Amino acid sequence: MTAPSDPSIVSSLAIGASVEEIARVSEWLNEMADGDDWPDRLRFGMELSVEEALANVISYGFAHVPHAPEIRIDYLHLPDTRVAVRIADNGTAFDPTAVVSPDMAEDVEGARIGGHGVRLMRHFLDDISYERADGENRLTLVARLGTAE
Amino acid sequence: MQIEREATGSDLVLKVSGRLDTPNAKPFEQSLLAAVAETSGRITVDLAGVDYVSSSGLRALLVAGKAMRAAKRELALRALQPQIREVFDISGFSTLFEIT
Repeated sequence: MTAPSDPSIVSSLAIGASVEEIARVSEWLNEMADGDDWPDRLRFGMELSVEEALANVISYGFAHVPHAPEIRIDYLHLPDTRVAVRIADNGTAFDPTAVVSPDMAEDVEGARIGGHGVRLMRHFLDDISYERADGENRLTLVARLGTAE
Repeated sequence: MQIEREATGSDLVLKVSGRLDTPNAKPFEQSLLAAVAETSGRITVDLAGVDYVSSSGLRALLVAGKAMRAAKRELALRALQPQIREVFDISGFSTLFEIT
């Protein structure tokens, strides 16, 4: 039996492990945003966060796994006018929420090329949570519809 | 993504429009590095027509910025839309480039 607090899945999308698929995800996300009338700031912030998360999964998640890549994206309605996008993949275990963002660089020479995605996700989202279950990474990106300007 | 070039003497302005996302990041970086190699003066990237940037797009600009600095030249940015500016601010990139 489903507990009343369980999130409900509104829509799901399965994608392949290539960066070209990110364009298809953006289209799908736009449909979700239109359906629930997301504010502009949430549209931008969620699209950016999903892209940052997927770019990590696609670029690094399947380098050392023998099985076929599977990536699934769910859109969920949560209580208290919150929404979530959950990204599940069967790649190498990786918790992006445990990544320490690089220090702010002082000049171009010293600036690091990577590691900025997680900082952006934390800035634009209300919550990010990660779990490893059933051989999957599950990253849940949560935003509040009501307060997102 | 589209890039228009406007040359004035040895200086170059690159007017970029569209999305600087992960699928576009590699061609964007290649266009920037080609511009660095083909010119000898200052390069300004005009972002007025860019409505979306992710860290992949930032990375391409940083690679070009490093190449320019190694050649003792300046890469400047201009006309960032507010949300683009926010991404630069959060990533700490606003202080890495001259932005007008």
